[in-house]
Amino acid sequence: MKRQKRFEKLEQRPINKDVIVKEWPEEGFVAMKSPNDPEPSIKVQDGVIVEMDGKKREDFDLIDMYIANYGINIANAEKVMAMDSTKIAKMLIDPNISHKEVLKYTTAMTPAKGQDVINQLDFGEMIMGAKKMRERRKPANQSHVTNYIDNPVELAADAAEAALRGFAEEETTTAVSRDAPFNALSVLVGSQTGRPGVLHQCSVDEATELQLGMRGLTSYAETISVYGTDRSFTDGDDTPWSKGFLASCYASRGIKMRFTSGSGSEVLMGYPEGKSMLYLEARCILLAKASGVQGLQNGSLSCISIPTAVPNGLREVLGENLLCMMYDLESATGSDQSFSHSSMRRTWRFMGQFIGGTDFICSGYGAEPNPDNTFAGSNEDVYDYDDIHFLSRDYGQSFGIHSIKEEEAINVRRKAAKALQVVFKGLGLPSITDEEVEAATYADVHEDMPKRDKVADMKAAQDMMDRGITAVDVIKALADGDVNDVAEAILNLQKQKVVGDYLQTSAIFDENWHVESAVNEGNDYMGPGTGYRLYDDPDEWKKVTDIPQVIDPEHFDM
Amino acid sequence: MSDINDLVKSILKQVNQSDGVTTTTDSHSEKQYGVEDYPLYEQHRDIIKTPSGKSLGEVTLDDIKNNRIDRKDLRITAEALKMQGDVAGDAGRKTLQMNFDRAAELTKIPDDRLLEMYNALRPYRSTKDELLEIAEELRSKYDATICANWFEEAAKYYESRKKLKGDK
Repeated sequence: MKRQKRFEKLEQRPINKDVIVKEWPEEGFVAMKSPNDPEPSIKVQDGVIVEMDGKKREDFDLIDMYIANYGINIANAEKVMAMDSTKIAKMLIDPNISHKEVLKYTTAMTPAKGQDVINQLDFGEMIMGAKKMRERRKPANQSHVTNYIDNPVELAADAAEAALRGFAEEETTTAVSRDAPFNALSVLVGSQTGRPGVLHQCSVDEATELQLGMRGLTSYAETISVYGTDRSFTDGDDTPWSKGFLASCYASRGIKMRFTSGSGSEVLMGYPEGKSMLYLEARCILLAKASGVQGLQNGSLSCISIPTAVPNGLREVLGENLLCMMYDLESATGSDQSFSHSSMRRTWRFMGQFIGGTDFICSGYGAEPNPDNTFAGSNEDVYDYDDIHFLSRDYGQSFGIHSIKEEEAINVRRKAAKALQVVFKGLGLPSITDEEVEAATYADVHEDMPKRDKVADMKAAQDMMDRGITAVDVIKALADGDVNDVAEAILNLQKQKVVGDYLQTSAIFDENWHVESAVNEGNDYMGPGTGYRLYDDPDEWKKVTDIPQVIDPEHFDM
Repeated sequence: MSDINDLVKSILKQVNQSDGVTTTTDSHSEKQYGVEDYPLYEQHRDIIKTPSGKSLGEVTLDDIKNNRIDRKDLRITAEALKMQGDVAGDAGRKTLQMNFDRAAELTKIPDDRLLEMYNALRPYRSTKDELLEIAEELRSKYDATICANWFEEAAKYYESRKKLKGDK
């Protein structure tokens, strides 16, 4: 065939490198509704669920049993399950019905009912739903802080800069798992230098992650994964009861935690049982609810290529975020993994979460260039900062971050690198040179950093754990080195762990350690003129609008 | 039906616990805290203590510099978790409260033992008897009734749903 010139050019556009596939229900390649999904149903006898979504209690697998025993508000269940799903869906976008009132209905739904309600909504309606059903009044954001060689000094500098930019949470992970204690320590010091009150985690295997938290080297945890089918769950090396117990282990040490799940994971693991992604995700959300965790990170996450390959994929992703909110859980809404070659599609990936506003719009946003993101690259990274600021300014809508000045970044990066230098010295870890401090101050990528002795660092990281080093030792090292403000910030973080206010739903801290959660700063959206509005928040609006790129009309040369 | 009876029994136990119907004389478990008491850090800092009984005002940079703070002392106590459980329950979040109630029981268990207990609950790790032994340990050694029930419930379902050691 002779090629038509326009079609030839279109074929070369970045979007056409993205892979999309036809629905294939038997293998779970269907976003919102599979012919194999069960119909919603419930039977309650003497306060016990004896049938759920077409299955009798004796046929329940462990996930069904756990959800039926703990996840559903049984008192309202029969009434809600008998309601038309469109009626519940309409409540989500009716500004006259409060967030609290809607929860009375939505927390009594079975997984199939939750799925059915979401299926009534188009994308715009889901945005409206998120506006009201998000737990915290004010949206926030989370960043990834990593680099390809686990350089601790650069981690501290990047953590400090991200904190200054407004991220309320920071998540690190490792290139090499044995570096975990150093990564946790570096981000602890960096985040509290950048802005006291920022929370941070180190995403590693379940047991190590808990250990780091027990030592006070992290302040929250998130990578506690759950799956929607029994075989996937078992392959993930847990059961609902072990995960529920783990949730309580974290709370027993005063550590905030949320679960993680996301559509497409069961497909990737090979056990979707022919069900739709949304139905399986509804089961994950109820697993989180049943475990009594305060929140969930979902929205396909690292599996994003699966739902976005099939029709309605990104509608499903916002749908599962919204469903999480409808079960009264904190929502950290992904947008954390690169999936598309198209800038336009990449932007639309987060538009629903951004315009609706969620507890954490991204989980997380790359606070380093993508090649240094050891989570395999985020949908947004450092080079998108100005695009995001312009979007916030254009729409008057919070992304949870704001513009900073170059000299502020330089100062805070240097301060964090120096603070870590002091900590390493105080704890007897391999020394950080002045040259490294200076490099981290001005660095963009890990290649900008002088090489460190990786073997010595790894040994010292293990030794640090063997010696039982805790946050108290870190505070002492900082105070002994006269870095008292950072020492004070880390001490305040430990005190907050003793009190536990930030274990409540959707909790973050401001720079004065005032906690903002669903308990004291709950979402009060009731239609136009209510709820959080960036353009009505003078301090934050100024940070978004008064940016270096702005030209002052007074300085126009007419 | 024994399945249902056990469940009702365990739920009733948890409800009784979360209502503060306990026999301890601890003054904190008598008062019910609520949404209006939150944040506890701002409103009740005076009554919250570290595990060794220090008030938060007694924990300063100076104390840390002079080694007057044990490195493991900056931890939440069962009492503070019960208070947060009250707040969560008052805010309408019963499952979160139940989690805090379980957590309150776990505060006394050493880190390493707690990790072992978690690992024992993972699939195919334990026999039914091993899970029941941990339940007994939780009950007798740590007075952790809710968590003991949790392990017993897991043992029962792991047996019928084939997640015990050797089932793989």
